Amino acid sequence: MTRALFRTLFCALAAFAGLGLSAQQTEVVLSATSGSKLVLAVAPPKLTGLDEATVARDFTGVLQRDLDETGVFGLLTEKLPATTDPSSYKAWKEAGAQWLLATRLTKSANGEIQLEASAIDTNAEKAVFTKPYKADRLVPLRRLAHALSDDLVFQLTGVRGVASSRIVFVRQLSPGVKEIFQVDRDGANLLQLTRNGSLSLSPSVASDGRLAYVTYKGGAPAIWGQRTVGGAQVKLYEAAGGGMVSSPAWSPDGKRLAFVQGDRRGNTDIMVLDLASGHVRRLTDGSGINTEPSWNPDGTQMAFTSDREGGPQVFLMQSDGSNLRRLTSEGTYNASPAWSPNGAMIAYVSRFEGKFDLFIYKLGEGKAYQITTGVNTSESPAWSPDERRLVFTSNRFGSMQLFTTDLSGRQVVRLSDLSNCQSPAWTRAR
Amino acid sequence: MRPSRLIPIATLALLMGTVACQKPAPAPTGPSQAELDAAKKAADEEAARKAAAEEAARKAAAEAAAKKAAEEAAAKKAAEEAAAAAFKAAADKALVNIHFDFDKSDIKEGDRALLQGVADFMKAYPQAKVEIQGHCDERGTNEYNLALGNRRAAAALSYLKTLGVDEARFTTISFGKEKPLCTEAKEACWSQNRRDEFHLK
Repeated sequence: MTRALFRTLFCALAAFAGLGLSAQQTEVVLSATSGSKLVLAVAPPKLTGLDEATVARDFTGVLQRDLDETGVFGLLTEKLPATTDPSSYKAWKEAGAQWLLATRLTKSANGEIQLEASAIDTNAEKAVFTKPYKADRLVPLRRLAHALSDDLVFQLTGVRGVASSRIVFVRQLSPGVKEIFQVDRDGANLLQLTRNGSLSLSPSVASDGRLAYVTYKGGAPAIWGQRTVGGAQVKLYEAAGGGMVSSPAWSPDGKRLAFVQGDRRGNTDIMVLDLASGHVRRLTDGSGINTEPSWNPDGTQMAFTSDREGGPQVFLMQSDGSNLRRLTSEGTYNASPAWSPNGAMIAYVSRFEGKFDLFIYKLGEGKAYQITTGVNTSESPAWSPDERRLVFTSNRFGSMQLFTTDLSGRQVVRLSDLSNCQSPAWTRAR
Repeated sequence: MRPSRLIPIATLALLMGTVACQKPAPAPTGPSQAELDAAKKAADEEAARKAAAEEAARKAAAEAAAKKAAEEAAAKKAAEEAAAAAFKAAADKALVNIHFDFDKSDIKEGDRALLQGVADFMKAYPQAKVEIQGHCDERGTNEYNLALGNRRAAAALSYLKTLGVDEARFTTISFGKEKPLCTEAKEACWSQNRRDEFHLK
């Protein structure tokens, strides 16, 4: 099924690429079209001891939004049969549902909520997925909805969904004060991760959840973060003499931290800090600006932004600094590269008529595709762990806010109404 | 017995008699207790007077010294304050922002005089240390702008070095687009934000 979807995706790409439009003008559909999505109908949950309004708000509504954003399910919402017993499967099929999701929520006397969920293939008339879940104070109803959505995506594609994932980002609290925050992928459960009362910037989250960021709380910028999972935030690196440091990026194995260090001649270089030994190595050659390092998934290469040939462009190199080559060719300002989790794509921004748009460069094709278009700016793309969406910042509703988009750019969703946001990173919840 | 021998004896007797008949004189023990007390009191009073006088003199001298010291301290403080005020005034006058074109870090011709002013200030006040802050407008990525701000701070540092100021007296820092002076999305605002600021350290 996954392969079939990707094939559709690549065909769509190839078709658009064949139009021969320039990258700035092309609007290419990368994601599966609705026709290739599996049509799923969510039957109203059967409830015991729970009121309908609460369930609609905290479970059904959350689940439907989650499923809609998976990109692999098309939701059937009209003309649904009234029952979900086996005799109704034919009716569900005729209504258009390929899968029927039947759920039962039961609240016991001790307050614990049980969820039984099963997905029925209406064609084969048998369950393809059945799983019991438990909710309590620590795992509220909406997290059950996320978990169920993620399991259904896994059932269909073999890769777990990202409804349970989180976004870590920077938010300005007052002029000169920016802190790192975390929010669920659907905008719920905002949590402040730093209280430095200063500029805290550029969060990076390791695959095991450890945070790294830059803070100016000591005057000069320094890289702070967690050496151990769940551990205290400590200073990880500071340049001698308090020079400029920025852009920390965890290596995929979480043992190294790429970052950027500026010198007093105006150059900035990509560096790598080995956490265990404290050894720092410079990867770029001290000519011009080199910044925004992004690792490929196996940690052997990096994408970064450099102005070595004029304006900012995206370059690639091996993670030892060798084999440096330019990636982007069109446009005068290409930056913010983000290597996709599976390694085949690099998202970046390109400046055009005074604002940025999101692009994706497909390494296999050697071509760039435009994702967002509009009069407003779209910046700081970061991949979802399942590679189906990008989170980014945009001022389309005034202040810079968090949005996600599918890879076609058609399904743009505002993640939350928080203002003054920047530098989002997308991480699986742990 | 010869009479000549009797005379000394008589005399002796007379003398002895005289001695024996004299009224016993008061013992030579000095003044009475009352007199002693009075004298002591007088002496004490005199001593106290003296001490008081000395104390007063000392006090007066100390007061005079303190007053003099205070006057000197005040004068010194006033001088220091005046120097500090002059230093601050000179710093405020000299340490003004310079500006840059979009995505550029070249020192503009019109800003060279301003940097000369910074250099003159640094030469006039050899103790002064200054932080050069590089800033950018909002039209670039956060990270690229941090690098560009570093380059803008370095550009001013390099120029000041050519004007003969020891570069060790400057620190550089970049705030990228993180600390704008102005937040409206228009060139009048962006041009203010593309700047170097100079701050006393």
